[in-house]
Amino acid sequence: MTNVLLIIFTITLLYLGIAHRLLTYVKILAFQGVILFGIAFLELIQINAVNLAFVLLETIVFKAIAIPLFLNYVMKRNRIARDAEPFLPNFISLIIITLIIIVTFILANAIAGSGISKIYFVVAVSTLFTGLYLIVTRHKIITHVMGYLVIENGVFILSLAVGNSMPMLVNLGILLDVFASVFLLGIFVNRIGDVLKDVDVDQLKNLKD
Amino acid sequence: MTGIYLVGAFITGGLLFFNRNRLLNYLLVIAFLLLQSGFTVYEYLHIHTTDLNYFTADALAVLLLATLTIISIPAMYHSYIFIEKNNNTARERGIYFAAMVVLLTAISAAYLSNHIAVTWVFVELTTLSASALIYHRRNNRSLEGTWKYVFVCAISITLIFIGILFLSFTLQQAGTDDLSFSVLMRKAPQLNLFWLRLAFIFIFTGFTAKLGLVPMYTAGIDAKDKAPSPAGALLSSVLMNMGFVGIFRFYIVIAYSPIFSWVNHVIMIAAVLSIFVAAVYMTKVKNIKRMFAYSSIEHMGIVMTGVAAGGVGYYAAILHIILHAFVKSGFFFQMGQIYRIYKSKSIYDVGNYFKYNLTGSIVILLGFFFVTAMPPSGLFVSEFMIFRSLFEADYWPVLIFIMLLLTVIIWALGKNIFKLLFSPAVDFTEEGVENIHPAESVSQFVLLALVVYLGLNPPPQFITLIQEAVKNLPH
Amino acid sequence: MISCIFILFVSLFFTGIVNRTKSIASGRKGPGILQPVKDVIRLFRKGSVYSRTTSVIFQVAPSIYFTSVIMAILIVPFGHYKGVISFAGDFVFFAYVLGTGKFFSIISALDTGSSFEGMGASREALFSMFAEPAFFILMGSLALLTGHTSFQEIFSSMHFGSSISYVLGALATFVLVMLTMVENSRMPIDDPKTHLELTMVHEVMILDNSGFDLGMILYTTNLKFAMYGALIANLFMGSFPPYLTIPIFLCIQFLFAIAVGILESFTARFRMNHNAQYILALSSFSLLIFLGVLLVLGQFN
Repeated sequence: MTNVLLIIFTITLLYLGIAHRLLTYVKILAFQGVILFGIAFLELIQINAVNLAFVLLETIVFKAIAIPLFLNYVMKRNRIARDAEPFLPNFISLIIITLIIIVTFILANAIAGSGISKIYFVVAVSTLFTGLYLIVTRHKIITHVMGYLVIENGVFILSLAVGNSMPMLVNLGILLDVFASVFLLGIFVNRIGDVLKDVDVDQLKNLKD
Repeated sequence: MTGIYLVGAFITGGLLFFNRNRLLNYLLVIAFLLLQSGFTVYEYLHIHTTDLNYFTADALAVLLLATLTIISIPAMYHSYIFIEKNNNTARERGIYFAAMVVLLTAISAAYLSNHIAVTWVFVELTTLSASALIYHRRNNRSLEGTWKYVFVCAISITLIFIGILFLSFTLQQAGTDDLSFSVLMRKAPQLNLFWLRLAFIFIFTGFTAKLGLVPMYTAGIDAKDKAPSPAGALLSSVLMNMGFVGIFRFYIVIAYSPIFSWVNHVIMIAAVLSIFVAAVYMTKVKNIKRMFAYSSIEHMGIVMTGVAAGGVGYYAAILHIILHAFVKSGFFFQMGQIYRIYKSKSIYDVGNYFKYNLTGSIVILLGFFFVTAMPPSGLFVSEFMIFRSLFEADYWPVLIFIMLLLTVIIWALGKNIFKLLFSPAVDFTEEGVENIHPAESVSQFVLLALVVYLGLNPPPQFITLIQEAVKNLPH
Repeated sequence: MISCIFILFVSLFFTGIVNRTKSIASGRKGPGILQPVKDVIRLFRKGSVYSRTTSVIFQVAPSIYFTSVIMAILIVPFGHYKGVISFAGDFVFFAYVLGTGKFFSIISALDTGSSFEGMGASREALFSMFAEPAFFILMGSLALLTGHTSFQEIFSSMHFGSSISYVLGALATFVLVMLTMVENSRMPIDDPKTHLELTMVHEVMILDNSGFDLGMILYTTNLKFAMYGALIANLFMGSFPPYLTIPIFLCIQFLFAIAVGILESFTARFRMNHNAQYILALSSFSLLIFLGVLLVLGQFN
């Protein structure tokens, strides 16, 4: 069943490649949060109940509800335009993300049957690289933050792969999540909207030699 | 004692954050400095003991902790002057000092931790506090610098975490789940090589954001430029040392596994590229603080070259980071005074510094000689040892290339500093120039004197500590 | 033979059910279910008008189009029964026979000399080019999974064991449904109702056909719908005993028609330059199916 959820997660990555509106990005992030909730629920049955409850709560509350709501609030407050302005057309994004998934799959075959199941590795690493790709090819600052959240989802999947034997790492991953969301989103995107009238990365070019 | 230190420091930080009274503010800062110094002495006397299961005071930790304490005293003093002259509100003052306290505590804890995940948590904490410091002036450019710093550091922290995850995969196969450095060192020969390589790449790349090497050095440049000078001093001395500690402890773990020579190649490539980048940018940079920041990058590149070369390079690397911390923080403390006189950081607007601040300009002149590793600077000793280790490890072409780059850097740095000191300033009116009391430069003279003392005639305890810090590495 | 009969039977009703669903969804009562058949019969009785700028191709193309679809139908199996034509690798033949028909319709559109139809022809060619990898990767993955290369053998040996094969089945259904919409130029790729805008794909290619030819083309659309529906039904029929296959077949076709109607009523057509990336996304989905099959095989070997 977790394999099913992981495949659906990969489909959301492809959808991220062709999405045009910022709201679609937010909805995909919320959906990914729900999928991660399901995977965490099914995977981490061996750790103790309090820890499990904490992990599940964090996934569903933070990733699926709080962060999308907050992103919505930031977009409304700063009156950010609805389009996610990419540097490359969405067509090429789709091809590149497909290539990322294929290359990760080939790379996963280099792991000679050790410790971790291949599907976790493929999904996590392709999510990672897709998040990096989103950061690099989008104009707006808020899409940089969304790309970072996608990277975090990938890291969470990777930590679930060893979650049963080392639950502390899953907790640390959640700590990373909370830190990034509270800090990046809570403090800076708000302030950036106040100070820079047009939340475009071109505005961040003043500091250079 | 570590527990008492951490709790006390965080309580002090919290009180500083909420407090609005000036006198109480400075009393709390002095209390923190006393706590810090006391803690350092305690750790030195109780070397090699483990506190709270996660904090071990080994030789490297004690050395760097002492460095941090020595630098934190003038840092707080210059922060006091900075806040006084800057007409900040009480709230901004509270945030500034609270952030300084949290930063120093987090760095100390990161030095002491013996578990890779605990190091990671405290590195995260330094990002938080450092960005509060960078954003102190609250204008557009500092916001941009803070945003870039936070974002790049957030990505680097995630990369380190991914590296830790990969490490835990291999540990699962080796039958343990303890991520402390001592266990890692013991299990190193048995770990799966593929995962270990991946883990090293991710952890190394993540820590280069703090250390200041290619590829993630960019965040630090803007941060040191935009932060107030005393905070910038901390960012470019002890924070970089924390990055070094993170990489160095993992490097010791790798030293016992078969991928050791590959790791050395990777570090060598990154280090040489960093020196190259620093050389290129130094020739065209016009902002004095950015120039100092690039000089830090260059020095960290030299340090990692020493680490990659091995042999006497290990000893020289640790000596170099300690001495460099003193010199660079001295420069940044002096920068505060330069800014107060000229009201500008650009090299075009400064000049004739000897006329306006005699003691300050002597600090700059001596600092220039020391940072470019000319005798009698202690940096001369450490750089000479690093070059010797490169020569002994048969890295001839690398050595010649680095020496050429260093020549370029000395030229660029010298050109700018001599302009600052000797050439007349363009469009600069002398009325309203602040009269800086010579006593403010005393701290920098002390730091520079320490550099000479520790380099040319180090006390035997110092030498023993450094040798203990590198004893685990293959010689 | 039995599949041929059933597909022909279903094709009489398919478009009618789609139109009826769309009408009910908009709150109207709508035309009768056999209305499209009556339209086709009316067109068969009319004469054709051929423009003087066209050549033989324009007169021959509709017949070739119709014939190619009939030949493709002959290959589609019915549960455990083979189609009339069945050999190893016949799904490639299936795709390319359909391609021949499409090729002829494209060049007949170009033959009229109208730039309007040429535009529709170029779009049709582009979308078919992007949809082709989707179909081939999908069928290739199913062939890899079951180890056979003939349609009938693939479908009869598909059984849903683990949960991952359910996901693959669901994904395959989704890809096939979307392929149907692409091939027949329905929503969200093309709007069959718009005849007067620069936004048509298939409708614009047949602007100049009339009479018997137009009747053949309209009926071919129905046939194609029923054929793809049969393919989708076959995905599920392999795991059931023979006496249940006929009701399941009819049931799935019926549900498919209703699903198409609902899809058409509730989605808007994409912007024209989004269409290309949407169809490419279909190919990426089928690539995921391929990777999923590799994973399944790796685990079960």
